[in-house]
Amino acid sequence: MSETERVISEDDLHAYVDGRLSSTRAHEVELYLQAYPDAAARVADYQAQREALRAAFAPRLAEPLPSALNLGRLIEARLARRRAPWRVAAGVVLAFGLGGAGGWILGALPPRGIPALAREAAMSYAVYVADPHRPVELRATQRGVMIRWLSRRLDRTVAPPDLSAFGYRLLGGRLVATERGAAALFVYESNHATRLAVFVRPMAARDSTRIKLIDVGEHDGCAWIDRGAGYTVVGAEPYDRLLGLSRQVRKQARATG
Amino acid sequence: MPGTLQGIEACIPALRRYALALLRSRQDADDLVHDTLLRALDRLHTNREDDVRPWLFAIMHNLFVSQLRRARTRPGGPTLENVDEGALGIAGTQEDALRSRDVVRSLDLLPPEQRVVLLLISIEDLSYAETARVLGIPVGTVMSRLARGRERLRQIMRGEAPARPYLRRVK
Repeated sequence: MSETERVISEDDLHAYVDGRLSSTRAHEVELYLQAYPDAAARVADYQAQREALRAAFAPRLAEPLPSALNLGRLIEARLARRRAPWRVAAGVVLAFGLGGAGGWILGALPPRGIPALAREAAMSYAVYVADPHRPVELRATQRGVMIRWLSRRLDRTVAPPDLSAFGYRLLGGRLVATERGAAALFVYESNHATRLAVFVRPMAARDSTRIKLIDVGEHDGCAWIDRGAGYTVVGAEPYDRLLGLSRQVRKQARATG
Repeated sequence: MPGTLQGIEACIPALRRYALALLRSRQDADDLVHDTLLRALDRLHTNREDDVRPWLFAIMHNLFVSQLRRARTRPGGPTLENVDEGALGIAGTQEDALRSRDVVRSLDLLPPEQRVVLLLISIEDLSYAETARVLGIPVGTVMSRLARGRERLRQIMRGEAPARPYLRRVK
């Protein structure tokens, strides 16, 4: 070895075995191994070990996944545990007393007005927003198509509000079913991977309401009626942030509509 | 969240492989993976990296260590000696198979702290820094355990080392 070469260390030999050296350094190690047959024999054994270990456990990767390890099912099971249907219903009852939702629980008419929005939001949130893979039908990249399609189906102009000031970027949107026709659902995500949902549905009620706190099971939400449409905002956020988000949604919806 | 969840899903086969290499019983291995996934879902917010792999392996390692501690204090519990012979899915030629079985048996004779380093680096392709993070030890310690583990495995396979099993001790 010439003096200009850096000394080869034990760590270098292992990094060589694991293919973690730069090509220059790997070449230096190879020169060293040519000069020192004992080290070369050792490295060859380490390489054989590594290959044998990989070969021994490689077939495991091809084994079919048992359903107990299906991530989608694990998530569903967790959600079901946390948000049993009766809890959603109970939450709605707690929020609105027995007048609105109570009648529905007792088997009479479905709720109307804000209790109806809360119930629809709870169901859509559990089914769609919590879906890790396909929460939306149209991605944010297809914004134009999404706006035209949803506006046509809802028979009013709806556009996803821009919530980037709150750290939420749009994932996309979808159409959801309610007892009173189609609604639009927009799904957002923060950098911390928390999701936020904005629901919009045309409503018969002409009166506007204030923004109200609603309970949608695991999360809090806000709902209000404004100029013939019902709005719901749901997410894992404290109430004051939800209120701020809701005001922003209302402001932008008024500008759009 | 979808990025993280997809990342987790993509890691499941590797987690199963590592768990099998650690525990050698398919059922125990899948139970460990199951527990790892549940804990990961409960702690999604604790992952700060784009690559979820080191974080998942760290969760699994911690569960594995506490499992071993429990097994040690509870006689009759699962041990690493209950090797499921069918657990080694061995493909390739017969010669490969012999060598694989040999290396896997020899692996059992390593102290666990060397064994996990060898598995994470040789099989799971974790970098030395990632391995250090997974195990919560300095990189220098990873390197010395890797060197000692490989050398010991080499001696065992050459019949030069006393076949003294280290099955339970885990730091």
